[in-house]
Amino acid sequence: MAYSFPEEVLEHVFSFIHTDKDRNSISVVCKSWYAVERWSRRRIFVGNCYAVSPVIVTRRFPELRSVALKGKPHFADFNLVPEGWGGDVFPWIATMARAYPMLEELRLKRMVVTDESLELISRSFKNFKVLVLSSCEGFSTDGLAAIAANCRNLRELDLRESEVDDLSGHWLTHFPDSCTSLVSLNISCLGSEVSFSALERLVGRCPNLRTLRLNRAVPLERLPNLLRRAPQLVELGTGAYSAEPRPEVFSSLEGAFGSCKELKSLSGFWDVVPDYLPSIYSICSGITSLNLSYATIQSPDLIKLVTQCPNLQRLWVLDYIEDSGLEALAAHCKDLQELRVFPSEPYGVEPNVALTEQGLVSVSEGCPKLHSVLYFCRQMTNAALVSIAKNRPNMTRFRLCIIEPQTPDYQTMEPLDVGFGAIVEHCKELRRLSLSGLLTDRMFDYIGTHAKKLEMLSVAFAGDSDLGLHHVLFGCESLRKLEIRDCPFGDKALLANAAKLETMRSLWMSSCSVSYGACKLLGQKMPRLNVEVIDERGPLDSRPESCSVEKLYIYRSVAGPRRDMPQFVSTMDEDSELRLS
Amino acid sequence: MITLTSSDGETFKVDEVVAVKMQTIEHMMEDGCAETAIPVPNVTGKILAKAIDFIKKHVETTKKEELRAWDADFIKVDQATLYDLLMAANYLDIKGLLDLTCQRVADMIKGKSVEEIREIFNIENDFTPEEEKEIRKANQWAFE
Repeated sequence: MAYSFPEEVLEHVFSFIHTDKDRNSISVVCKSWYAVERWSRRRIFVGNCYAVSPVIVTRRFPELRSVALKGKPHFADFNLVPEGWGGDVFPWIATMARAYPMLEELRLKRMVVTDESLELISRSFKNFKVLVLSSCEGFSTDGLAAIAANCRNLRELDLRESEVDDLSGHWLTHFPDSCTSLVSLNISCLGSEVSFSALERLVGRCPNLRTLRLNRAVPLERLPNLLRRAPQLVELGTGAYSAEPRPEVFSSLEGAFGSCKELKSLSGFWDVVPDYLPSIYSICSGITSLNLSYATIQSPDLIKLVTQCPNLQRLWVLDYIEDSGLEALAAHCKDLQELRVFPSEPYGVEPNVALTEQGLVSVSEGCPKLHSVLYFCRQMTNAALVSIAKNRPNMTRFRLCIIEPQTPDYQTMEPLDVGFGAIVEHCKELRRLSLSGLLTDRMFDYIGTHAKKLEMLSVAFAGDSDLGLHHVLFGCESLRKLEIRDCPFGDKALLANAAKLETMRSLWMSSCSVSYGACKLLGQKMPRLNVEVIDERGPLDSRPESCSVEKLYIYRSVAGPRRDMPQFVSTMDEDSELRLS
Repeated sequence: MITLTSSDGETFKVDEVVAVKMQTIEHMMEDGCAETAIPVPNVTGKILAKAIDFIKKHVETTKKEELRAWDADFIKVDQATLYDLLMAANYLDIKGLLDLTCQRVADMIKGKSVEEIREIFNIENDFTPEEEKEIRKANQWAFE
């Protein structure tokens, strides 16, 4: 029998279906399901803002309340994407202002957001609740003032790692006295002092505030007052954690922390004075997430702190923790799921800390739930990687950053092919992988053979020839994002696997050996891909076909070539002989 | 007491406190049409009995845990019955039962492929191959 549901029933059923994948599936079932789905869809995620256009989105989904957009490619975090490349959110805001007056949430990552955009947001959406700007840039505190002043129902303002033109801290005073709805406020990326009294009053009148991430400029002496006004906080980012050692400041802090029974996540801790660390000991047993990536404290103090957090699930820390600290972590924090170790002196030539491959091995041995790793170090061995792989077959994200490019196994002087091979062979659920060290085409063969669930791969200074790239494009069935820099990969593998590129979100290649001619050919062969050549050396049309391009960004799109490219970006398409920008 | 007559002629006497949970019936009661037996033409006796059971349980019990367990058991029915219950809940406007049955149908859809969904609900694909391709492409390229 055929199950035909009336539209209102279908809509009700669909109200229980939330993931993008499931929503997309139901939209294809039949025409009536497509129609009900598009009218009832309330949230979308657009992984590449240039893969679609605002008009296409608003035409298909007339009633969205929540939109997430990503702009620049990930390697923009390493300054590889030139200024002015694109990712301006304004066209989206302008279109959505007309189409979605009831829009409530906007989550943007790596996009250019101007004050004009922020002002338009603050005026266009009467019920606007959530603004998350992750690694965005282009706006100033004037734009923030508009958001604060006009968004009467604001629940979340989260600036993550954005770059803000910080004109003054005065913008915070633009929150009206009637604003009591804040649930989350993250201003940790801001440089200047915000008005402390305005901040205290704001915190005090928002009873549902659960997340408060302060910026460095909030002095330690101010923290107790803030905490006392928000004992319900679950996530706290402190400001600078330093002051002259004074017992009354210490006990005030200790007392204030003691009254925050719900705290689970801590961050901030710039300029830590170790004498003040014990002020948080009383709440450590409840802490599940600790971000100490700005805390320049040494291993003994880190060990004292970390060993008091038996329920720790996530730790971000500088390499000051050293192998000894990681051993202590492995012994005490059995619930650890995610570890990120950042370099304290990435440009130093000699190691400044006793952090080696052993630290990571210890954690992989001691923490059975560990599945997400980002680890900066200066030396590695195949044996260590094999141990880690065998210890943690449940690994899903593994990013190893051996600071010096092309560093071999320091014991055997071999490439690290076998080690990374073990990672992809044993960790069958691996979704994200970043490689480093000395690596040959053989390692890429292992990846292509084993990494069947791999979705994102980052490669730098690795491989010998096109065969390396071919192994990955040919073998990695689930690959969505591939980013490559400084590898000897050229035209052959790219052209031979052109069709693969339509199954991925994007491919980035910079400082490789892909020729201008191959880019043109690819653009002609694959009209549904945007093949964008980024080259700041001057106009391309005078170049010989064999000349290597500086940077290449290829992505699939239903919107065709973009029209907002700066003069150093050219799309290779059917007419690429004639049109270059 | 309110009397309801199913499509296949079965009669059910229910307390008013139960009857008002069927919004459709409640409206009829307010309009003064509840003096005699109320016909429920779209719902068989078997399904109406189950719907009444559901309402009675939810009226009698307040303990959330107990209700949740009971609901989980109650909804373990074959697909045809689930469909009939859903349609009955919709017609009679029984909010809790509508939520429960719709959630159950949603759970049958989650994680499935398009083809699997069509098969489970015996739905005919009325897209042309080109239309389907275009939507799938937009879904995967833009919205995932």
